[in-house]
Amino acid sequence: MAGLISDPNARGELFSAYLDGELTPDELTLVGELLDGDEESVAQFRALRSVRRAVRLVPELEVPAALLPDGHLGDLLSAYLDGELAVFEHRRVTDHLVHCQDCRDDLHELDRARIAVRSLPGADATMTTEIPAIPQPRRRRRFVVSGIAAAAAALVLVVMTTGGGDDPVFTLDDLATRHVARASAEPGFAILPAGLEVSSP
Amino acid sequence: MANEFTPTWEEVAHRYGRKIYNFAYRLTGNPDDAADLVQEVLLRVRKGLSSYRPGSFEGWLWRITRNAFLDGVRKKQRRPESALPEGDHHALGSSPSPDDVLTSVRLSDDVQAALLKLPYDFREAVVLCDVVGLTYDEIAEATDVPVGTVRSRIHRGRKLLRGMLTWPV
Repeated sequence: MAGLISDPNARGELFSAYLDGELTPDELTLVGELLDGDEESVAQFRALRSVRRAVRLVPELEVPAALLPDGHLGDLLSAYLDGELAVFEHRRVTDHLVHCQDCRDDLHELDRARIAVRSLPGADATMTTEIPAIPQPRRRRRFVVSGIAAAAAALVLVVMTTGGGDDPVFTLDDLATRHVARASAEPGFAILPAGLEVSSP
Repeated sequence: MANEFTPTWEEVAHRYGRKIYNFAYRLTGNPDDAADLVQEVLLRVRKGLSSYRPGSFEGWLWRITRNAFLDGVRKKQRRPESALPEGDHHALGSSPSPDDVLTSVRLSDDVQAALLKLPYDFREAVVLCDVVGLTYDEIAEATDVPVGTVRSRIHRGRKLLRGMLTWPV
């Protein structure tokens, strides 16, 4: 036992474990004896205690809400519509949309805005993809829009915009169809959960 | 046996997401790496929950977390950078007293910088103990080493930290 007490590292381990409440009853007794009048031990104990306290006082950071299931999707929604999400992000978005009406409504609004912009004269996909001189930014995930998919999207747009004055209640299946058409065959890409409706604005 | 004690993926995310984030942040000093780890761990938890059998959930979860972290480090083929974090402006004011708050604000950057200088095994043990709040047994299970090794690593980590930090005892 004397060897254990005289070894600074072993003594320090005891003090450290004592601070963490990890000692056996016998070790606890030993620590009590060490700290009873031995100045070197007391100084070592205080030093370890101050370090432990400093680390524990470092403020805990808040995890970004978007990483958690109930955090609303925010920027992910636009990237989702554009087929620009990584696989794990896509899964998180679809999971969240199942139970979050607010984000489904946001998705609906974003999609309407997106369609409106894309329907501006001279902004069709065929023209822009045929201008090779314009350098495209390097994107993390790039999906190819086929002519058929573009035509399908245009058809959906026509159907949507000619449906009359009342705002339609359409399902996420509609969005998913267009989304997947745009996103092509990205490995791991999944279709939205079926049967979910967004509310009319 | 029914999985009545197995939490759902959403419960895991809410209960442990912040701890996982802080674990990674304190190990790397990098908020992006921390966010990546949270996503990766939650993905692995989601995949693994169906095969999880009720038992030491903490040990299971933190083993996944640690493995995901180390896999991420290997993928990037770099060691955690020693750069300081930008600051603790996202920090929550959870300290118990005003004095403690002031102390923590002043010291947190120093402590973070010192943590990043520790050898990985020591840093991991200290962070799991003092940031995450695991017991020695849980750390041993998560890191797959004996409890005695955990105890030694925590002490040696704190001893090295003490040498790097300069405030008066």
